[in-house]
Amino acid sequence: MKMAAEEHSENVGAVILHHVSNSEALVPLQLWGVDLSITKHVIMLWIAGAVIITAFLIGARPYRRGTVRVPSGFTNFLEAVVDFVHNQIVVPYVGRQSARSWSPYILALFTLIVTANLLGLIPFFDLIPGSGTSTGNVNVTAALAVMTFMAIIVAGSREHGVIGHWKNLAPPGVPWPVLFILIPIELLGMFVRPFALTMRLAANMTAGHIAMLAILAPIFLLANPWIGIGSVALNVGISFLEIIVALVQAYVFALLSAVFIGAAIHPEH
Amino acid sequence: MEQLVRFEPGLMIWTWITFFIVMGILARKAWGPMIEALDKRQADIRTALDAADRARAESEQLETKYQEQLQASRKEGQKVLNDARAAAEKLRIELEEAARKKSADLVAKARDQIVVERDQALREIRATVVDLSLSIAGKVVERNLTTQDNRKLVEESLRQIGEA
Repeated sequence: MKMAAEEHSENVGAVILHHVSNSEALVPLQLWGVDLSITKHVIMLWIAGAVIITAFLIGARPYRRGTVRVPSGFTNFLEAVVDFVHNQIVVPYVGRQSARSWSPYILALFTLIVTANLLGLIPFFDLIPGSGTSTGNVNVTAALAVMTFMAIIVAGSREHGVIGHWKNLAPPGVPWPVLFILIPIELLGMFVRPFALTMRLAANMTAGHIAMLAILAPIFLLANPWIGIGSVALNVGISFLEIIVALVQAYVFALLSAVFIGAAIHPEH
Repeated sequence: MEQLVRFEPGLMIWTWITFFIVMGILARKAWGPMIEALDKRQADIRTALDAADRARAESEQLETKYQEQLQASRKEGQKVLNDARAAAEKLRIELEEAARKKSADLVAKARDQIVVERDQALREIRATVVDLSLSIAGKVVERNLTTQDNRKLVEESLRQIGEA
């Protein structure tokens, strides 16, 4: 018994890390010198994408036919999601004129992140070794943040022209000596924002899992099954918290992306 | 720890691929039509509410107008009724007056007529009596006869008068 506990105590950190990290390559794949191996996070992303595509293709059928008068049931739920992102995030922060062009981007961010976040909470996917939360991987969140970084530049350039967008780094009416401080700050901000998006989402998604695993760890460390009662009860509570965090972080990522895009379109604010 | 922040360019590329497939398919097949429907419904609701507001204002206006008209026509009717009543009353008084006057006239005229007629009759009676008296007297004088004869004569004369 004591032996087992000691053995666990040496490994517990590694076990936790293993559970919140991506798997090794499940299907090794090299293309044009890039490692495109299919890992667990790639599969989780695909599942999230497949779930969203299936749900919306089915749910939006009445809209494609143009037969929607009063939506009901599942369609109503999907419409609430679209309505929320379009009318609560994109229209207020990006502006009504550009809302139609940016809503699909923000919707894709929101739905993909929220689905990936929630999929990570389902223990079933632990059948494959590694973490099930693709959005807890900095590479995934960085890829999403890089798109927002590009989207900000695209949005600004579309509205003000390429030169006009970069000119907006320096707000008009600012005395020129201030620009020496302001422009570096603005340039730094350009990169800090997507970096913050990357870290916020990945850290939030990973932290919850680490906390849950750490709470379960004493059962093995102390080799006392009775601790399990407390650990499991606590983890049930944390699971609810994780659901909220999954929704909130997806909302925050989508909202901040919309805010940044809106700021590039309306630099005067 | 380095496990957590390992750089995996392949995963980033897969993220982009997945993201653009999701966005590409759903923007065209789901979100576009849904947002369009939402915007359209918003516009429809706005139009419907505006129309309802306008209709209500219109009906209120109509109602007040009808109310005013009703009030006016009621007043008008009352006035007509009052006028008619007054006219009828006036006419009645006039007619009564005229009838009274006419009947009075008739009575007066009849009275005059009666007087004239009576006078005429009296005049005629008087003349006849004179004639008769003269003829009787003549006859009596002509035949100076017995009392019996006289009586007979008188009776005969009287009978003649009666026959006449």
